[in-house]
Amino acid sequence: MQALEARSENRALEFVKGIWRNYSVVVVFFVIIGICGLAAPRFLTPGNLLNILRNTSIVGSIALGMTFVIIAGGIDLSSGPVFATAGAVLIFLQRMKNPDGSPAVPLAVAILACCAVAVAFGFINGTVITKAKLPPFIVTLAVGIIARSVTMYIARGATVMGNNIAPFNQIGGGSFLDVPIPFLVVIVMAIVFHIVLTRTKYGTYVFAVGGNENAARFSGIKVDRIRIVTYMLVGLCTGIASTMEMSRMVAVAAATSGSQYEFEAITAVIVGGTSLAGGKGRLIGTIVGFIILGVVNNMMIMLNISPYLSGAVKGAVILFAVLLQRRERV
Amino acid sequence: MSDPAAPALPAAVEAPVLAMRGISKSFFGVEVLHQVNFSVKRGEIMGLCGENGAGKSTLMKILAGVHAHDAGDIVLRGETVRRNATPMEMQNLGVSMIHQELNLLDELTVAQNIFLCREPRGPSGLINFKKMRDDAAAILERLGEKIDPRRKVYELKIAQKQMVEIAKAISFNVSLLIMDEPTSMLTGKETAILFDLIANLGSQGIAVVYISHRLKEIIDICRSVTILKDGSLVTVRGVAGITAQDIAALMVGRQVQTAKARDFAGDPGAVMLEARGVTDSLLKDVSFKVRKGEILGFSGLVGAGRTELMEVIFGMRRPESGSVLVEGRPVTVRTAMDAIRADIGLVTEDRKATGLVGCRDITDNSNYVSWLKTPGFFKGRSRSLGNARKMIDRLAIRCSGSSQLVSNLSGGNQQKVALSKWLLSGARVLVLDEPTRGVDVGSRQEIYQIIRELAAEGVAIIVVSSDLPEILTICERVIVMHEGRITGTLAASELSEAKVMSYATDVGTGEVNAGT
Repeated sequence: MQALEARSENRALEFVKGIWRNYSVVVVFFVIIGICGLAAPRFLTPGNLLNILRNTSIVGSIALGMTFVIIAGGIDLSSGPVFATAGAVLIFLQRMKNPDGSPAVPLAVAILACCAVAVAFGFINGTVITKAKLPPFIVTLAVGIIARSVTMYIARGATVMGNNIAPFNQIGGGSFLDVPIPFLVVIVMAIVFHIVLTRTKYGTYVFAVGGNENAARFSGIKVDRIRIVTYMLVGLCTGIASTMEMSRMVAVAAATSGSQYEFEAITAVIVGGTSLAGGKGRLIGTIVGFIILGVVNNMMIMLNISPYLSGAVKGAVILFAVLLQRRERV
Repeated sequence: MSDPAAPALPAAVEAPVLAMRGISKSFFGVEVLHQVNFSVKRGEIMGLCGENGAGKSTLMKILAGVHAHDAGDIVLRGETVRRNATPMEMQNLGVSMIHQELNLLDELTVAQNIFLCREPRGPSGLINFKKMRDDAAAILERLGEKIDPRRKVYELKIAQKQMVEIAKAISFNVSLLIMDEPTSMLTGKETAILFDLIANLGSQGIAVVYISHRLKEIIDICRSVTILKDGSLVTVRGVAGITAQDIAALMVGRQVQTAKARDFAGDPGAVMLEARGVTDSLLKDVSFKVRKGEILGFSGLVGAGRTELMEVIFGMRRPESGSVLVEGRPVTVRTAMDAIRADIGLVTEDRKATGLVGCRDITDNSNYVSWLKTPGFFKGRSRSLGNARKMIDRLAIRCSGSSQLVSNLSGGNQQKVALSKWLLSGARVLVLDEPTRGVDVGSRQEIYQIIRELAAEGVAIIVVSSDLPEILTICERVIVMHEGRITGTLAASELSEAKVMSYATDVGTGEVNAGT
């Protein structure tokens, strides 16, 4: 009898341990929400929370694609600049007018072009990395510098205003049943990506390539193709993110649009528990990761802390998250 | 060098240089060593045997200061060593360990590696490179080794790297040297040189603990052998009059059957795979056939081109000329996927590097190839899970479940997972490169049994192995290679170690030894 009880107790303990192992980031997330709620009463109002979700969805979208790249053992430092290039393409097409004042390019075409540009950059990244066998860090850094420069050139280094029309504004600024549309977009993307990552062969191969590239190759997996697709995927996510932000801003700033977004996305992925060494990671972690970043940003404003200190807080969050995951492994 | 080479000592000085008494150690509540006693006399070469997981490595890592023991005493030359001694302290006390994976810094020179962290300094406080080089050269000379201490380690061959490790150990004024599987990467010739060196160290009064799965080596070079099983001491005995079978039986606690393979009894006309005139920078006009249900062995020294030949067949290496035929039809294998489509499978020689994705579970690892072969975007969870469970049952993979990470399995069970990948893909030609490297005696027999069963089902099997007893145990026919050529083919009935070795070295080909 006693032994039985002890065992069921053990099992309960194991269950709690299992939850902690797998979902510690979620637990930490709720702790942070609780602390924030206590620190700033206005934090927990629906309006504020929905606002956080809207703001954080842009980087969140990139982070979803970045999760694939990082699980496959890569990294993409070009996302921010590519975000600007794709945004510039969108704004330029969107602001073109017929002589009668109506848009010359249908909005759908402009958005598709924006995403296509971002995917093309992803394809270039992936192809150079796999075919020339160069480190992803260097290739995407270089491609990012090129993308930023191209954006500066076509926008002549300035901020270009778009055509401020209602349907375009709705994408980034609208809500459906009070939920911000960008967040809905990101949630739909996350569900699709989660299925791809966990239920499809492609997803499994992404893990295999990141876990042991040579073993994957000796198992017949087309390692290069898997890799290239991950970079195209983060490109697509960057294009969607860019569309959502351009729709809210109706302007692209050649020098600053998307600046630091690649690092914010990578931060969200790391905070979410995905291993930079590749082979391990989950999308649920990334989602919690970018919302935590959004909450931190929001709290800085709520508590009237100097924006110059936001980097210090974010850095501390990264270190804390990584330390937490380190202890789990032992 | 401050330490002159000690002259050979008379046998009268028999006090143990090391005595480990009642050593116990637990990891995470699991006892891996239980009150083990272990002692070595001055100049003695002591074999240490046991299956994987028996506690050999843990015992030696405690001795080398890598792990701290929970209970017991370590007495070195009559003095008790403090419990939490660091590896550096143990080295200064004269205990050095050469790990299976060599621990050298590739980008540094031989001399820098030998004197790492102990570099001789000049009056200015900067490193005195000349003294370091001279000292290194002196130590290497004592080993009878002619390596320029200025060379970078990455330029060296594995055997030479091992010499550098030994030189480093000796430079610590070593009185006890632990060697973990030192011959696993060496050729026959290099092994002979190493054995001479070990005997030489013994005669200089240095005690050597020799860990190996190759029991014949233990009998050849050790004076006594200590056998561990499940963390406990089984016995210590002299090697005189003992056979490899005896040691194996003590290790597993029962008699190990080592049946000798019979000649191939199937249809000699049913050729499953044929290679014709495969030639590249290393391989010279290699042709062979393997039949349905046949177990064909490939023997030869490391570097004979066996692994490279298998990579050609599996599409991982492109030959300059030559062709591969499956069931008489030529197939183009440019990629691994081409080979997989032709039902060819390859279990690679290095599980960790090219065989398995350690951070993924058994289900994933066993299904990778079968997913490639089935159409569709989704992997089919229940079918994949069913596949994995089937393999766990059939191959008796010891695990906590199909979701256990492969890196947490023992060597033998990892090898079974690597095999399961190809069984599930329905491979009809299975190439096994060093199928039991780093696999313990018990699992080894299980893997042999699986290989025999597969052959009985009609799978054509090619076994590449540097382990001669293994070749003799399972192969029905053996092809011997030397420097990229096939130098001999032997049926099981005409097999002997001597014949294989004569084909594998220059002796059989009548060539003059051109040196390596």
